[in-house]
Amino acid sequence: MFNGNKKKILILALYAGEIILKNGGETYRVEDTIIRLCKSRGLSYVESFVTPTGIFVSVDNKSEDENEMISFIKRIKSRKIDLSKVAKVNDFSRRFVESDMSTDEAMKLLKIIDITPPYPSYIKAGFGGLASAFFSLMLGANALEFFSAFITSIFVTYTLKALIDVDFPPFLTHISGGAVAVIMAIIFSSFHPSINMDLIIIGAIMVMVPGVAITNAVRDSIAGDLISGLARAGEALIVATSIAFGVGFVLKIWTFISGGTLI
Amino acid sequence: MMYLYNFIYAFISTIGFAIIFNVPKASLVKSGFGGALGWTVFVLINNHFDTVIVSTFIASLIIAFIGEIFAILDRQPITVYIIPGIVPLVPGFGLYYTMLYILEENYPLAAQYGSESILIAVSISGALTIVLSLNSYRKQRQKKKI
Repeated sequence: MFNGNKKKILILALYAGEIILKNGGETYRVEDTIIRLCKSRGLSYVESFVTPTGIFVSVDNKSEDENEMISFIKRIKSRKIDLSKVAKVNDFSRRFVESDMSTDEAMKLLKIIDITPPYPSYIKAGFGGLASAFFSLMLGANALEFFSAFITSIFVTYTLKALIDVDFPPFLTHISGGAVAVIMAIIFSSFHPSINMDLIIIGAIMVMVPGVAITNAVRDSIAGDLISGLARAGEALIVATSIAFGVGFVLKIWTFISGGTLI
Repeated sequence: MMYLYNFIYAFISTIGFAIIFNVPKASLVKSGFGGALGWTVFVLINNHFDTVIVSTFIASLIIAFIGEIFAILDRQPITVYIIPGIVPLVPGFGLYYTMLYILEENYPLAAQYGSESILIAVSISGALTIVLSLNSYRKQRQKKKI
């Protein structure tokens, strides 16, 4: 049985999938959500193919009409990480399937989820600082290094945020993040001889490290989405390389200036 | 005592990473707990047997397992718990030293640190793979029963 507007449901499902994919969800979750949303409203044939850079969906219901089959392609250009949106859309799709919410109402709910702001940037920067500072403690930093890592990481988080907001190319964003981390670490280490810049830098770059990409690469590959798995592994590799590039570049210049050695 | 300190440090650190990734408020403490336990186990095994790769593997197994339990209990996507938890294990340390030795043109040491980082990344993903595929197998079986 099919009731309602096929196109509306398809757009709704696509929108839900887009939010998950854009905010760091796994590929199979996107496909699953799209299929479940469409099937819950009686569409008998739903097929979706999702990669990290685009969503393809076709739907049809059993009928003789020649013009019935609808396909939709959505290109995803930029991805960020906002796991609470993934969780919310997940919750939404469960509720949508279990109730008979109208598509207009559902669309409104999705729009609200989509524009929910993330944690304010001062909280993110503060906790990013704490994360790095405690991470450097875990590796055996002293109190002075702890505070330096805290301040360094706040600067790094703000730099990343500011660059992402102006749509700076991702590769350059991570290079700049790494560079800021090293510059701050050099400044701090020149204050006091007991401050070693290694642990400060390592703490600060942990904020940028591609943990989400690695995890999702594994999850996608397990689910059999090999293209997405490889794509995400590639993403992780590029991010790691660009961080190393930013850090290495500034360190090398510093050794030319100071005439010292790195290790 | 040292383990207690490590637990607390890792707890705060994981919650910090969780906030950077915008984990929902209700899941913050739980993801912190998983990450902290994982890190403590990592330190414990690494201190006793001195193998970074095996300890990373076991720690990731624990993080994935705890994450899976929380995910089932709270009906949340498991990524919310796993991603912040594994960040402390991710080889940022190895990455940094690899790059440092490449800059110093000390290629043997660079290769040593580099291959260690890759192996750590592989052991994290291997551990995640085991736990997550066990869970998806369990889900498959459940679907068939219905």
